[in-house]
Amino acid sequence: MEFNFNIDWIAAIPEIFILVIINFLIVYAVIYSTSPHLGYPILIRNVTWLGVQILFFAFLLNISNPLIGVIAFNNLLIFDNLSILVKSVILLSTMVTLVLAIDYSKFENLNCFEYVILMILAVVGMMLVISSYDLIAMYLAIELQSFCMYIVASLKRESEFSTEAGLKYFILGAFSSGLLLFGCSLLYGFTGTTNYQQLFHVFSTIDKTVDAEISNAIVLGVLFILIGMLFKLSAAPFHLWAPDVYEGAPTSITAFFAIVPKIAILSLVVRLFSYVFYGLLLPWQEVLILCSILSMIVGTLGALWQTKIKRLLAYSGIGHIGYMLIGVSSGSIEGIYATFFYIIIYIIMTIATFSILLSIRRQGNLSKLKYLNDLSGLFISNPQLAFSFAIVMFSMCGIPPLAGFFSKMFIFISAINMEMYFLAIIGVMTSVAASFYYIRIIKLMFFDSETRVNNLNSLSKENSLFLSFCCIFLMTFFLWPTPLALILHNSIIHFCI
Amino acid sequence: MFDFILSWLILIPFVGILIILGIPKTQVNLIKSCAFVTSLVAFVYSLFLFILFDNSTSKFQFLEYLEWLPSLNLHLFIGVDGISVFFILLSTFLISICILTSWDSVIKYEKEYYICFLGMGAILIFVFSVLDVLVFYIFFESILIPMFFVIGIWGSRTRKIKAAYQFFLYTLIGSVLMLLAIFLIYFEAGTTDFQLLLNVSFSEKKQIILWLAFFASFAVKVPMVPFHIWLPEAHVEAPTAGSVILAGILLKMGTYGLVRFSLSLFPDGSVFFTPLVYLMSIIAVVYTSITTLRQIDLKKIIAYSSVAHMGFVTIGIFSLNLQGIEGSILIMLSHGFVSSALFLCVGVLYDRHHTRMIKYYTGLAQVMPIYTLFFLFFSIANLGFPGMSSFSGEFLTLVGAFSSNTLVTFIACLGMILSAAYSLWLCNRILFGQLKVHYISNYSDVTKREVAVLSPLVICTLWMGIYPEVFLDVMHVSVSNILEII
Repeated sequence: MEFNFNIDWIAAIPEIFILVIINFLIVYAVIYSTSPHLGYPILIRNVTWLGVQILFFAFLLNISNPLIGVIAFNNLLIFDNLSILVKSVILLSTMVTLVLAIDYSKFENLNCFEYVILMILAVVGMMLVISSYDLIAMYLAIELQSFCMYIVASLKRESEFSTEAGLKYFILGAFSSGLLLFGCSLLYGFTGTTNYQQLFHVFSTIDKTVDAEISNAIVLGVLFILIGMLFKLSAAPFHLWAPDVYEGAPTSITAFFAIVPKIAILSLVVRLFSYVFYGLLLPWQEVLILCSILSMIVGTLGALWQTKIKRLLAYSGIGHIGYMLIGVSSGSIEGIYATFFYIIIYIIMTIATFSILLSIRRQGNLSKLKYLNDLSGLFISNPQLAFSFAIVMFSMCGIPPLAGFFSKMFIFISAINMEMYFLAIIGVMTSVAASFYYIRIIKLMFFDSETRVNNLNSLSKENSLFLSFCCIFLMTFFLWPTPLALILHNSIIHFCI
Repeated sequence: MFDFILSWLILIPFVGILIILGIPKTQVNLIKSCAFVTSLVAFVYSLFLFILFDNSTSKFQFLEYLEWLPSLNLHLFIGVDGISVFFILLSTFLISICILTSWDSVIKYEKEYYICFLGMGAILIFVFSVLDVLVFYIFFESILIPMFFVIGIWGSRTRKIKAAYQFFLYTLIGSVLMLLAIFLIYFEAGTTDFQLLLNVSFSEKKQIILWLAFFASFAVKVPMVPFHIWLPEAHVEAPTAGSVILAGILLKMGTYGLVRFSLSLFPDGSVFFTPLVYLMSIIAVVYTSITTLRQIDLKKIIAYSSVAHMGFVTIGIFSLNLQGIEGSILIMLSHGFVSSALFLCVGVLYDRHHTRMIKYYTGLAQVMPIYTLFFLFFSIANLGFPGMSSFSGEFLTLVGAFSSNTLVTFIACLGMILSAAYSLWLCNRILFGQLKVHYISNYSDVTKREVAVLSPLVICTLWMGIYPEVFLDVMHVSVSNILEII
């Protein structure tokens, strides 16, 4: 339990770098934005690019981390291959999200630079969540991440929807944090430890037949923690906040919510339930299977009736979480592999979707698009954009040979590997039903062109760059899937217990 | 030049797509010529596949191998045998025909249209040459994307959206079950390589489940009654070239899958379910033939007659003897020529009058004699007249079926009578009779381009009817090899 200064600080250097530099960023932004002789400049673009720079340097520090497999700060944090991979994904996707939002902030007059800083702070929270190796560290990191996200959800203070979204998110998030904390305290009370490694040893030797009462309490604690996680992941039946928050928050924030936090929480779920609580596989597996079935069904059926784009994306996100939970609940190394595969491709598809949504506007008054019907006739006004969007949608519903198919394929392979045929059949059926609303969007863009045409303007340069990159990835992924597969294998191989 | 013949064949359409992408949208003629030249090059190149093919062995030839996902033991294996070589030829041939036939009739988004067709060409060559069950599924399914656009964007009427939806969802539901079955195979055998799987024998119970899952996918594609609802809709709404591709090749993907995968991989399952297939097939033959009699849309008549012919094909496949399977492959090929040609004939009428109602047309023989000749020729070919391609196929099929089940053969023969009834009645109604001049003021006979589209099909049909030995020789060893497994 000794505190080794050198190793601990070197291992955690990306997080520390961001935390330190962000103070400078705040000082810089506060001084300049309130300076009268510069005429109170609007710093949002400037601060965004600075934030992207910070994240980029943190990314470089992260991937060149010399210490791998280190447990630091009195067994509070772990830095292994998985955490480095997930942190890189988070840093990159946050960078992309920030750049995508520049255009949106300009048109919507969202001139508060604070949201960039809050988002970067949330990223620090997520990085700590991924690295956490102790229930207390985990809880504190989750709170850091959540609080920043509550604030950015209600960023648009004068909008009813945005404040409602922030409040809803806060209340339900606080409730789930309460459940999480209760679960942690139950575990601590009955095992006497909060450290993952020690908990793992306790659970791998636990004998439920001997001490039924104690083990029931432990199971209860584990389930509370699981439910807290499922809240954060917006898995059904704990999903009710997601559509409202997605709809109410400004789209740039919605993009952040949709793209970034899921992988952090998911990697925590994998670490907890495929390593720490693996000894208690049976009780949590049932809950996870139930939740994944419910999420797939709710995500699909809910999305069928939506008329607003962002609500539809929220429900489709719930459905996708259901597929990812299949991978986790299979409790095998293939399942974990499939889950990370799925979420990385999901992130790329979501980036592509939001690069469109954040940037297209009606010609003339430049008002943003809110309803699905606003997309009709996109094929006439902007055929390339319509084709890119169609590719993303086909990929989301898992039509081969696009990348979305492969993510679903690995999920179903892992389910069938563990002989969970029922889950696989439900997954396949809901993916067919889900294709219905994805192709409805394609229908709106391509086939309704004779009836209604909205003249839409083209994307900004950054957004179209990201969109084209994502689409090319989705289309050509099947030619050479080996690199991503290898990276993932390297990162999760130590879960083979 | 002929070292990597299959890869080149797949790459040629992609090269064409890249060139077309670089051409500005306004230069329509250049786009068209580029697409046509590309498809023609692919067709001529695929002829070498046929010429260099060694028909004395049942081994897969022109094999190529690419490490794809080594960590999961998934690899790209392509090669052809005596069965798939014909379908590759048919695909490249019909793609050229399609591009030529839509020369004047497609007047919006030409660039995207030709890109879709060339893309379909590449995917189809992949489907028919790939020797890995999972990769087969991937390309089997990916044909949905271009076809969905072709029906939806260039379709003719307002119901096209419904048709595109039905086409997409029916096919998807069928094929995802096959996906799960492929995963089961993967875990049972540790590989999805087709050549290795031929040596794996599954337990009878597993075979039954796997066969059903594969059948769900293929039966929707074929389509067999009662999964055929999407077909008339999709055919009626698709543009002429879309219907040609749909009837000419996409339906064959289902029957090809039955021959290649269901028969060879699950022989016990195939024997077990033969009665079911027979029942569905004879219902298809009789029911759709009778339904055809009461249709008033020209394209629907041909669509339903396609379902009936596909019923013959499935009877032939599951007769499980040499004559039956060879006959059914012949029917598949001849149907690829004949029904495509009939759709093209309907397209000729539709281009001039923009309707497909039968009542609109009478007495065309008086003003469009050459057209009448073509239409009559293909109608007679469609009903299985001796000397035409369908006859040799149907004859062999019925001979094969007779040795395994006489009752089924008898009922299938009823289907031949009915097909004669609807084909001749259709000819009678639209070609002969009194010309309604006050309806139609402007008749012109087929143009040179349309003759150029239709005459290769006439030659193929006659060749296959008069001397089918060329085709039978090539497929003979491969079909015997499949039968040895059973």
